[in-house]
Amino acid sequence: MRKITSYLIACLLANIVSVAVFAQNVTISGNIKNSVTQENASAVSITIKGSNAGTFTDDKGNFSISAKGYPATLIITSVGYEPQELVVRSASDKINVSFVPASTLGQEVVVSASRVVEKIMESPVSIERVSAANIRSAPSVSYYDVVTTLKGVDVVTSSLTFKTPTTRGFVGSGNTRFNQIVDGMDNQAPGLNFAVGSVIGLSQLDVESMELLPGASSALYGPGGMNGTLLINSKNPFKYQGLSFEVKTGIMHTDGKQREPSPYYNWSLRWAKKVSEKFAFKITTELVQAKDWVAVDYRNYKRLGTDGTPIAGTRLTDPNYDGINVYGDETTADIRPILQGIGAQAPFLAPFINTLIGQPLNVSRTGYREADIIDPTTINYKLGGSLNYKLSNNTEAIVAGYWGTGNTVYTGSDRYSLKNLKVGQYKVELLNKNWMLRAYTTQENAGESFNATITTRLTNEAWKKSISFAPDGITPAPQASDWYVQYAQAYLGGKLAGQSNIDAHNGARSVADIGRPAAGSAQFKQLFDKVRAIPIPKGGLFTDKTDLYMAEGQYNFSQFTGGFADILVGANYKKYVLNSEGTLFADSAGTIGISEVGAYAQAIKSFLDDKVKLTLSGRYDKNTNFKGRFTPRASALVKLAEDHNLRLSYQTAYRFPSTQQQWINLDVGGNVRLLGGVDDFRSFYNMDSNPVYTLESVQAGSPQVYQAQEFKPESVTSYEIGYKGLSMGKKLLVDLYGYYGQYTDFLTRRLVAQSKTGSPAGLANSTTRNIYSLPVNINDKVKTYGFGLSMDYRLPLGFNVGANVSSDDLKDVPPGFVSFFNSPKYRFNANFGNNGFGPAKRLGFNVTYRWQDTYFYQGDFASGTVPSFQTVDAQVSLKLPQTKSILKLGANNLLNQYYVNAIGNAQVGGLYYVSFGYNLY
Amino acid sequence: MIFNNNKLKTGLLLLTASLFFITACNKDVQQFPVPTPTPVTGIALGETVKATADDSLYYKLIVRSGLLTTLNNTSNSYTLYVAGNAAMRQFVNIASGGLIPIAAPDAVHANFISTQLPASSAGAIVSYNISPQKLLAASIPTSFPNLQFPSIFNPAPQVSALLRLTNFPSRRANGAWLNAFPLKSTDLLAANGVIHHTAALLTPPSTYLWDRINSAPQFALLKASVQRADADPTAPGALQAALLNIGANLTLFAPDTTAFKNALSFLSGGAIPPTAPNANFIGFINTLPIATVKGIVVYHILGTRAFSVNFPTTSTFVPTLLNGAVPTHPGVALQATFVDVPGFGMVTATATVKGAANPTAANVTTKDDHFLNGVIHTIDQVLLPQ
Repeated sequence: MRKITSYLIACLLANIVSVAVFAQNVTISGNIKNSVTQENASAVSITIKGSNAGTFTDDKGNFSISAKGYPATLIITSVGYEPQELVVRSASDKINVSFVPASTLGQEVVVSASRVVEKIMESPVSIERVSAANIRSAPSVSYYDVVTTLKGVDVVTSSLTFKTPTTRGFVGSGNTRFNQIVDGMDNQAPGLNFAVGSVIGLSQLDVESMELLPGASSALYGPGGMNGTLLINSKNPFKYQGLSFEVKTGIMHTDGKQREPSPYYNWSLRWAKKVSEKFAFKITTELVQAKDWVAVDYRNYKRLGTDGTPIAGTRLTDPNYDGINVYGDETTADIRPILQGIGAQAPFLAPFINTLIGQPLNVSRTGYREADIIDPTTINYKLGGSLNYKLSNNTEAIVAGYWGTGNTVYTGSDRYSLKNLKVGQYKVELLNKNWMLRAYTTQENAGESFNATITTRLTNEAWKKSISFAPDGITPAPQASDWYVQYAQAYLGGKLAGQSNIDAHNGARSVADIGRPAAGSAQFKQLFDKVRAIPIPKGGLFTDKTDLYMAEGQYNFSQFTGGFADILVGANYKKYVLNSEGTLFADSAGTIGISEVGAYAQAIKSFLDDKVKLTLSGRYDKNTNFKGRFTPRASALVKLAEDHNLRLSYQTAYRFPSTQQQWINLDVGGNVRLLGGVDDFRSFYNMDSNPVYTLESVQAGSPQVYQAQEFKPESVTSYEIGYKGLSMGKKLLVDLYGYYGQYTDFLTRRLVAQSKTGSPAGLANSTTRNIYSLPVNINDKVKTYGFGLSMDYRLPLGFNVGANVSSDDLKDVPPGFVSFFNSPKYRFNANFGNNGFGPAKRLGFNVTYRWQDTYFYQGDFASGTVPSFQTVDAQVSLKLPQTKSILKLGANNLLNQYYVNAIGNAQVGGLYYVSFGYNLY
Repeated sequence: MIFNNNKLKTGLLLLTASLFFITACNKDVQQFPVPTPTPVTGIALGETVKATADDSLYYKLIVRSGLLTTLNNTSNSYTLYVAGNAAMRQFVNIASGGLIPIAAPDAVHANFISTQLPASSAGAIVSYNISPQKLLAASIPTSFPNLQFPSIFNPAPQVSALLRLTNFPSRRANGAWLNAFPLKSTDLLAANGVIHHTAALLTPPSTYLWDRINSAPQFALLKASVQRADADPTAPGALQAALLNIGANLTLFAPDTTAFKNALSFLSGGAIPPTAPNANFIGFINTLPIATVKGIVVYHILGTRAFSVNFPTTSTFVPTLLNGAVPTHPGVALQATFVDVPGFGMVTATATVKGAANPTAANVTTKDDHFLNGVIHTIDQVLLPQ
């Protein structure tokens, strides 16, 4: 081991030192312009043939590079242009390059598929790439939304700035099976275990590319990438220089259906400067502000503990109504004991009361709509930057930070208002063409975030207690001032006056609600604000200051082993420090640490004159609370012909249960407590001496003890075949894949009940039992399969058209198994656009269309059928070359056809904007 | 050119079709139909009474009471007890102090109801004959003694909004009754409830059991016994309080003075002759152990309100308040015989109650004397528990 370490250190030093002494002696300067539009071409790569020297054009298209002498051959490349070579023979040569835009497809390179640079055409696994040019021309208001148009991608929209993409099923608000890596950093909020949408991360103008790996990807990117990994890469300040900004102003809610029409603002700025050949820096910032989409599903539904599906009934027809996006009405009680209490005090009414109580009389408190309680203003502010220093031509040191704050809404087991959430990611990194060392941390602070359900329920309690309890907290001790007592008395009064059941209920509600703070009133706001400032469980505030620390390194041994195979090895150490001060995790006594270590290796070897490329990868990870896991990947790329490649892969992926699945300890209302799966909970809640019973058996009247099983990571094994090919003069790009996967030890939750009295007799009554939601593994294997097909075609005159269709399905789901598969069977995207046509090719446009099939959404918050929907985005643009600027008029959901893509989430409508961008590249 | 035109037309058609497709609205999430209330069929209670010729006087009473709107409110449902015109004439005759003979024309009776009978009285009577919800005859239990069911009459809303005077429908194989009055017909359905016809107009009680005991000469020794029993230092005044409690629901078998004198004379070993004045017996009662007197008094009280029509036709023991202290005591044995009075219905011919230690059953000499908190049956023997 020591030998290997010494060898690695020697290699690193050799890489840094050997190149640091390299010297140049002539300087070549020039300018590069787009041959069609005559615009300056920025961020174009200039290298000297036969040397390591390289630079990029600045925002004016100028470059300056040192060479050993004349003649020197410049290699000029940039994505979207035909590569050029130019021989410079003397200092007097004027170098003005007319750079020709490429009209062919499939020329991009990707890094994420194999952690080494390779042509996208030759990726051994399915991959999708979004370039900065794609983002510039997309009609989407945010770069993050462009992912939606990729094949096989589903997105759940919790709110305007909280969107969760995934591939191959299992989408949800907050997806723990999909990695999102920004500039090499896992940008999950560590307390939540999923990426908080685009709330943190890169600013719009700093995104160089996004690469999406659909499907299992743990072998290279570690636990979590069960369903895919999205890698977002920023612009290096050496390459992308100058000041850029974009001002977008838009309008939402134009039809006044959810809110009054309101403005949308998105201002972003990036400034990068190459101070010297060694040092560059960048500063990026972005501000988004708008009135958010509103979750307006007021349908009645079955509460937690059932299947969460919508049912008939409204506040006026069901006394026990629980609206999906209505909060506070989760509090429910059977008023029969109160009526019986009245009968005991007034025996002359007892026989009449007996006629009313044949069935449970469940009544819910009156709730408040989401729109009434959640700050309508969604705001997102990001600040980022980096300092880049070139230790040599091949080695760059980077110190970078991305910080974001804002208000948004996401859906977990309840709806959460993430208010003044702050997440910062900070890294130091050494990048060499052969190796990488990186250390980073994610610092999370939930700010004033609160659980909308709990807060509203407790606001109701703060105004008027539901029912009083004796000091033991278990025995009800009803008081005349209690809401349910007033309700029951008034209900009885209504029945005594001959009223129908529902009239008596509605009358009783109006009596018990006398003096209830009106939504939006100062009284309500004062009460609500007070409750949301108190930590859970006494209030609705969830304190989450969980941090993540990560160190990783990678070495590419290809320079030594290339004769045999390209070999890459890497390792990482990750540590979560859970800190919710007892409001989310079982950490009231102090922070909880969870460590993970992992290492991976990969070998790539080509055969048969590079016609076949085999890649073998493997990864081993170990978590504090779980046994180590090995995940292999094998892939083959077969070049059927030039630009016609077949890819085959076998991949595995797994994830350790999330930090919440390990350590959550949260009372979510409805008499249900979410617990983590680590053994400590069993002893803390005395489950060995006072056993827990499956809730369904308790409800069926014959309680069965729940037998705990080992709590394990879940895993997926996936087989895939794909084809990517260029034809019709490289103007048609076809990409096709089919996959088959099998999930093992699938993680889900199960409800169990425990008697408060210690006797099984206590299980029968909701007041003498606790219900726990435990994370468990499903023993049955679940199979998933699907396909995707995309075609992109370059039409004459710069027009391009593309379409993709994809499908995902799940089978062998055991009866009663809640899979949370959450994927439409089919989805379809199409686009049509042109980035330069008309006079001086200054006009541009792009239209995208998306349709997705209906599907049954299963979530911890609510479940139900999501209808199929379609949406059209479009933009037209006008370039103003003299000022290096562009005007854009765009629309997201052009036809304002409202849709939801998950039950209980916001309805998304039309957003129309104009933007002015300066120096966008 | 034709070909090009066709291509153009096809293209335009496709474009138009796709525009229709794209501009079609997205479907909303599944919505559930809001249940529409079942439409009311038939006419309401008030209208039903109005339409029934033999209920014309009762209809006048409803109008006088101001409860017509209530009875015609089809949002609510009620059980309405209606007395036919014959019963109403009896009522008017009594209410007019005999000034209006039973045989007077209905117009005269109607005029009395509409102009002479205080509206508040009419309101109290009608509301006492209205029970909330629809109580069909089949839902009236046949078990002893009856179903205590609230009317919509709250005599003291200032005391409690939930206070209601209750009435007591009952049913047996040989008939059905409201309190002690036969139900001549049942289950006349209306849009918002059901009507049962009573053989006599049921009027609400307005005084308490104690008011009667306290004032009636024939209950002087019963009163003394209650007062002696209430000297119990562990529960002072408890019996009197119960007899004055509107929430109580009691049957009091009240031995008259003669019965008490006979029993006390026997108990005194003949030292006090049955002909002695009340004062002698009261003095004697006050010498008896409190527990003994209390035991005897509570043995005369049932914790339910049993009208004589509720008595079983075969002698059957029912518990008394004494069972609160002596749970195993058999109670008192009740028995009644019935007679079907033409045009009126099944009523009690004879009723008896027998104490466990009495050689013979006591006869109910005055039955079904109704009060706010119970019913009194006057009997001719003191009941002896042992």
